[in-house]
Amino acid sequence: MAPSAALGTKSDGQRSRLALIVTGGVGLAAASPFLRPLLGLGAADAASKAEDLRILQLVLQLEYTQVALYEQALKEASLSGELRDFAQTALGHERQHLAAVKQALGSKAGPKPRFEFGSKTKSADAFRQTAIKLEHVAVAGYNGQATNLTKPTLAVAGEIVSVEARHAAWVRAIAGEVAAPDPVDKPMTGSEVAAALHEIGLRAS
Amino acid sequence: MDEQRDFARFLNAVDVDGAIAEASHQRRLALSRRGLLAAAAAGAGALLLGRSEARAASGLSANDVGILNYALVLEYLQASFYTEAERSGALSGKTAQAARVVGATERAHVKAFQKLLGSKAVKRPLFDFQGVTEAQQAFLKTAVAFEDLAVAAYKGQAPKLQSSAVLAAAVGIHSVEARHAAWMRQLFGVTPAVNAFDKPATKQNINRIVASTHFIVAHPKMKARSKPQYTG
Repeated sequence: MAPSAALGTKSDGQRSRLALIVTGGVGLAAASPFLRPLLGLGAADAASKAEDLRILQLVLQLEYTQVALYEQALKEASLSGELRDFAQTALGHERQHLAAVKQALGSKAGPKPRFEFGSKTKSADAFRQTAIKLEHVAVAGYNGQATNLTKPTLAVAGEIVSVEARHAAWVRAIAGEVAAPDPVDKPMTGSEVAAALHEIGLRAS
Repeated sequence: MDEQRDFARFLNAVDVDGAIAEASHQRRLALSRRGLLAAAAAGAGALLLGRSEARAASGLSANDVGILNYALVLEYLQASFYTEAERSGALSGKTAQAARVVGATERAHVKAFQKLLGSKAVKRPLFDFQGVTEAQQAFLKTAVAFEDLAVAAYKGQAPKLQSSAVLAAAVGIHSVEARHAAWMRQLFGVTPAVNAFDKPATKQNINRIVASTHFIVAHPKMKARSKPQYTG
């Protein structure tokens, strides 16, 4: 049982479950490979707690980017109607994902990055298109790491990825696009995810 | 094997007369051949797994065969549901469009699993959707339930898979089911994404829910008795 589940809220329990799984509830003597670049992550390594942590650094970037995009668009893009509902709902979820990933990484969590979204958060149309891209990257990014994760961490990642997929479909439906265009979602590698996040506006801190 | 015992229980739970119908051809509806289906069905095995691994179930563990067959039954359920709804002519507008796309995808999933499992694939049960494919709101409500159920079922089983290739395919299907769930929810007018974390469901819970619908029947005759409106 996760110790802080006693705090009562579902998200607290969730957060500490991920933290406990990844750290094993003890200090991480073998965590130095963190500094290894995210690019090419996970390619040939067997799943391990150290590998989970490396993957979570990438996931952290992803969740930071989602939170930042929705926060900024809600301030700047004059969102209304269902698109605004979507942004508010997704932001709430991404904040909980971010908190869970940060807690799992503990002191190993990378610093909060900077963002340069440019015009992407300045209008509803631009935001909608960017959100479609970002949610697609989130789904493909999580899916791409599934076989690299230990099973307990995979189970938690599975609880997050389907929510990203729901966001992806929702914002596509709002845009009048086919919400689920492929019979099987294609995965992205760590380096593809990093490149896509950079294109959207993620910058090193 | 736990999974095999669970699967047997699933079949027993949903198939009240204890006879998973052999005559799947009787029930097989002429599938729409429109664009997306053709694309989706082409090379369904390769779609799921690399060519070398799409060959047969011979390389799969009993554990994975059990899980894949369990998933196949859920895919049969969904595919038949969408196909019947599409053919009933009751759907219109965006809902009809979504049903075509989602139905084609579920049929592609069925084909892919059948191909992967080869002779080990369970046969298609007979279904009686009791009228829910004949009215748009009833259809949407049921679609939401089915898709949320599929998401929870895949999520519950994915970490138990032993083959990495099968796992990679399963997660790619899992997220597609989540997209479907969100899409059907949006069309039904309910929030597409309720919680920050989607919870998995055990086979026992899924079995209980599926059994409670009485959508899976043993004999085609039961269908005529309960719902004469649709004669597909």
